Amino acid sequence: MATVARSGRTARVTTRSRRRLPRGISRFLTLSILALLFLAPIYWMASTSLKPESDTVARPVQWIPENPTLENYRDILASPTASFLRWTWNSLFTSVCFSLLTVLLGVLTAYPLARMKFPGRQVWFWTLLASMMVPGIIFLIPHYLMMIRFNWIDTYNALIWPGVPGAFGVFLMRQFLVSIPRELEEAARLDGANSLQILCYVLLPFLVAPMAALALFSFMACWNNYVWPLFVVHGEMQTLPVAITTFSSRYWTAYGKLMAGTAIASLPVLVAFLLAQPYFIKGMSLTGLKDD
Amino acid sequence: MTLSHPKRPALLRLDDRNPLVPYLYLLPHAVLFLIFIVFPIGFGIFVSLHRWNLLSDQQVFVGLDHYRSLFTPGSPEARFFWKTLLNTILFVVITVPLLIACAIGLALLLHKPIWGRGFFRTVFFLPTILAVSIMGLLWKWMFENGSGLINVILDQLPLLDTVPFLTTVGWAWVPIIVGTLWWTVGFNMVLYSAALAAVPQAYYDAAQLDGAGRWAQFRHVTWPMLTPVTIFTAVTSTIASFQLFGQSHVITAGGPLRSTQSVMMYITEEAFTNFQFSSAAAMSMVFGLALLLISVFQFRLLLRDTGRGAD
Repeated sequence: MATVARSGRTARVTTRSRRRLPRGISRFLTLSILALLFLAPIYWMASTSLKPESDTVARPVQWIPENPTLENYRDILASPTASFLRWTWNSLFTSVCFSLLTVLLGVLTAYPLARMKFPGRQVWFWTLLASMMVPGIIFLIPHYLMMIRFNWIDTYNALIWPGVPGAFGVFLMRQFLVSIPRELEEAARLDGANSLQILCYVLLPFLVAPMAALALFSFMACWNNYVWPLFVVHGEMQTLPVAITTFSSRYWTAYGKLMAGTAIASLPVLVAFLLAQPYFIKGMSLTGLKDD
Repeated sequence: MTLSHPKRPALLRLDDRNPLVPYLYLLPHAVLFLIFIVFPIGFGIFVSLHRWNLLSDQQVFVGLDHYRSLFTPGSPEARFFWKTLLNTILFVVITVPLLIACAIGLALLLHKPIWGRGFFRTVFFLPTILAVSIMGLLWKWMFENGSGLINVILDQLPLLDTVPFLTTVGWAWVPIIVGTLWWTVGFNMVLYSAALAAVPQAYYDAAQLDGAGRWAQFRHVTWPMLTPVTIFTAVTSTIASFQLFGQSHVITAGGPLRSTQSVMMYITEEAFTNFQFSSAAAMSMVFGLALLLISVFQFRLLLRDTGRGAD
């Protein structure tokens, strides 16, 4: 891999490589083949979902559906046991709540930790930081038993609250708050602003990008969560990614319907990603790299 | 501002001079933090020391029995816990180096401007946004024993035979590992791309003057410059891979013969299928502690290597 990437540079130096294909062609071909391999499973899903059942296992393989049909989609959307709309709503609602709460609590908690002096500040900050090191598995059983005691099994509460106090958001917001120059705040204070006004009018404008990134990634984390929803919510209350596996165990040999279901379940995320694609990668370098 | 009476004691002030103000901001998060993070840690230990029965109000205290049986050869918990832990370790040992090597490879391929670079980057990053269940179903269908695309292609190639991937001990790891690689490598790639962009061109020019070839440049310039990202990705990928669950759960359901069952899957089986919550809590503690030690150890190891690389 390294060889290919460097070929552009070394072409200038060695005479041997000058006789080769134009610069970058081999690299472009490698990338194209890799891209095809990466897209293959998604293409194969789409293609299978558009075939009548008998064609899904036909030989020779139909790369392009010969008898394209939407009957798989029609069947599963009409099926009384598959409530795709409800599952999508469950995922959407809980992920939005989770993401808003994470951002709100992240900012509120990071604010005094970053910009105020008070006894216990360091202790609390290090406690939050240490909590990020605790592996998630530690919480699974106690959280589940707590949900039973709270009567929260099969409720949105169970999907939203246990994850909200995770300290990553606090940590991220604190890092950005710390870097804002103090003079701005002092100027506002001289003008008579209180701490909440300073937060809202002076500091928040600096936090828009990291807040958006945090919201995006919290949303994705909640939407894609698997282990927890698998055990605390059932049937109608399931989230889309978990429901698709129970759906699949009923339809496993009906590949056309199965892939239509998979396509429906992945569509919201794929569309959202393609629309917001630049923000994803920008957000990643904002959040992912900042915390290493 | 004008509300506070000058003679009011500090704690009753209604403005920012009240020393309780910072704590008010911390309060909402702190309450949830205590309920859902601090309390469960203690509660988990408490549960692991009892024989937890959902139908009873009185829980029987059994001390360290559940921990003892985990370390007693021959008990079923010990057998399956260590077997599934070994399965998980196998997965980690194969997956993490692949995730790092492939991510560096992709990042290097995309480092220099090339026609369609944005498109390629999007394509490689795309799978990371999918839920693990979607990824699992896609690759389960790709590797289906009879009619999966991979076997159809193997069937048509001369000299190669179809492989019942999903039901053969050993081969069953292939769909899980390939799927995981496809699913997560794009994330690491973006981290490496950012790090590569930050390597000063002057270093390569200097290396070239010294007569360094492509490999020497990679070994002595690129690789050392990437060390911080490598530490980060190694630690995060290892921790994530140890928590293997969804891939095995969806693609092979842990089979055949528990050969791809991960330790997380076994813990959930013990809790939610066998209703042995205390035993499962004890396993969570042992496994969680091991994870913690691994991340600390790995961090220190890689830091030491950084020190040596810089000489």
